[in-house]
Amino acid sequence: MTYEVPRKFPTTVVGSYPKLPPAKEALRRLRKGLASEEEVRPLFEEAIKGVVEDQLWAGIDIISDGEQTREDMVVYFAERVKGYMPGEWVKIFDNVYFRKPIIYDRVEWTRPLTVQDWLTATRYSKGRPVKGILTGPYTMVEWSFDLYYKDRYEAIIALAREIRKEIEALVEAGAKYIQVDEPALSTRPWREEAEIAGEALKILFNGIEAKKIVHICFGRVEEILPYILDYPVDQFDLEFKNSNFRLLPYLKEYGYNKELGYGVIDVHNTQVESVEEILRDIERLMNLGILPPEKVYVDPDCGLKRLPRDVARMKLRNMAEAARIAREQW
Amino acid sequence: MIVWGMVLGGYPRSRLARYALRDAERGSIPYLELHKRIALASAEIIGAQKAAGLPVVVDGMVDWHDIFRPFIRSWRNVSVNGLLRYFDNNFFYRIPVFTGEPDIIEPVWPQRVREYSLLADPATLKVVLPGPLTLAKMSEHPGFRDEEIADLVANLLSREVSLVQEYGVYVQIDEPILSDRKATRDDATLAVDLASKILGPVSDRGIFAVYFDFPSKQVLEKLLEVKARYLMLDIEDSPARARENAVPLTGHVPVVGIVDGRRIHTDRLSDTTVSIVKALAEETDEVVVTTTTWMDLIPYRYALKKTSILGEIVRELASRVGGEVRTLWR
Repeated sequence: MTYEVPRKFPTTVVGSYPKLPPAKEALRRLRKGLASEEEVRPLFEEAIKGVVEDQLWAGIDIISDGEQTREDMVVYFAERVKGYMPGEWVKIFDNVYFRKPIIYDRVEWTRPLTVQDWLTATRYSKGRPVKGILTGPYTMVEWSFDLYYKDRYEAIIALAREIRKEIEALVEAGAKYIQVDEPALSTRPWREEAEIAGEALKILFNGIEAKKIVHICFGRVEEILPYILDYPVDQFDLEFKNSNFRLLPYLKEYGYNKELGYGVIDVHNTQVESVEEILRDIERLMNLGILPPEKVYVDPDCGLKRLPRDVARMKLRNMAEAARIAREQW
Repeated sequence: MIVWGMVLGGYPRSRLARYALRDAERGSIPYLELHKRIALASAEIIGAQKAAGLPVVVDGMVDWHDIFRPFIRSWRNVSVNGLLRYFDNNFFYRIPVFTGEPDIIEPVWPQRVREYSLLADPATLKVVLPGPLTLAKMSEHPGFRDEEIADLVANLLSREVSLVQEYGVYVQIDEPILSDRKATRDDATLAVDLASKILGPVSDRGIFAVYFDFPSKQVLEKLLEVKARYLMLDIEDSPARARENAVPLTGHVPVVGIVDGRRIHTDRLSDTTVSIVKALAEETDEVVVTTTTWMDLIPYRYALKKTSILGEIVRELASRVGGEVRTLWR
């Protein structure tokens, strides 16, 4: 079955989705050592199927597996890449923690980590493309402790070389959209940091035959923007809604002309954006006159994992409807 | 030259503290039980600092979710909103929202000082306050300008100080926002004026702390005017920047952030660090060694280890600069 992605304002997601009950149960069993990955695989398959069905119901054009198998965007990869060891509890907010992983040896990719989930989502997607989504090397290093590499640069480049192997595996499996998540990049919005991340992206994407996307969010993106525009990617996927579209004038100022993943859904707010509101936000971008609708991918600011499932579904549904109307308008 | 050490700020939570807060949130233990468990966890932290020979100690502030929260909770006309990233950390604080002029319902520190001074003895307890400028810039305050909120906050913090000064504690004001590369001379002027007002009555035991990066030359120049005997700078986060911008801290005792509070490697005293310390301490006969930042974002076990390392670095630095160590025990 094939699906034709709309030429204008295709809709997509950033990646994560609320954990569905089978995924929660599978993660619980894994955490407590009650089952192996193989044993809980059917539960994850069921969860991914549910996530895909939600996205199809909402009318999303380019979907994801909802990252149902990933306890955390860094820990998931760290637990599966050689050279990492499990970390101890570190606070993220309030009394909530994550096990910040530790690089203790040379990092080494040993097997595909996300391909199975990508294949599962593709099986249920009724022809809609599924994004391959990975945490980028810059963020992996920033959000890990490093006891092995001489400095951050060396660690980031080493990880980039290994993560590239995962991208190659995804492309070989058939992925046409590859997204690398680099949320940490916006926290140090300096030229030298952008250059390190840019070098890593060259390693990741050089010669890769797929749509190449980088997702950055929640930070001072406007400050790093001028330094990243020449990254070897087709699309930047950026958060706009949560920061009240503060970034828009900078796109114009810096002559932005790549494809844009345009975040119009606030993932930290349970209030569902109305179709009219999303349409108005699409108009804000289009009125700048910097990008044609063919280069605008409408999506949420970031992953939806912290929202209740019903809210996430409705937000996506309204977003898809707004994009449909926008296609008639623009 | 006299060299001594102190930890900059908060500690991570031990399992005891984490579970105590969790149980309290679930309502399964009464307030008094929570208080008892937090006191036990704090006693362990104070004990670790005394064992390392540190003459000035913190209680660890393990019951604080972030540096702002206990104050926000104790003030009228302020609440908290969603989460926002705290500088370049993978840690999120709750955004304070001022709905009117804040006022103290109950001060934060007097009770803590009464309890923990006894545990700290013969060491001296340190009280840590959020800087008014940092709080103003990292909060929402519709209807108020940053300077207005900062001024109101400074008045409340002055009252905190007036209530604890009779105990002979050290008082530290944290203004990490001044390490931001976009911080201006005007920002520094405001922060310095307000800190001078707050620390006025305790200026001989007052500490003004800037961390997460080394401040720019124009900011540092202004910091020299602060009415606090001790001026803390993070010199390990970016040694190259520290080397470039370091000047003699005329009129102040340098408090040098050497032990990395955000990473878990075993710290060593490098020649670069020693040369930066010498530059900062050119016109003084006293130096204080500290952690680069709070240690609340590393695992508890490592924070205890770093406390001990801090004691070792004090001794090593003293030997490298031909100084004398001041420890708790002699």
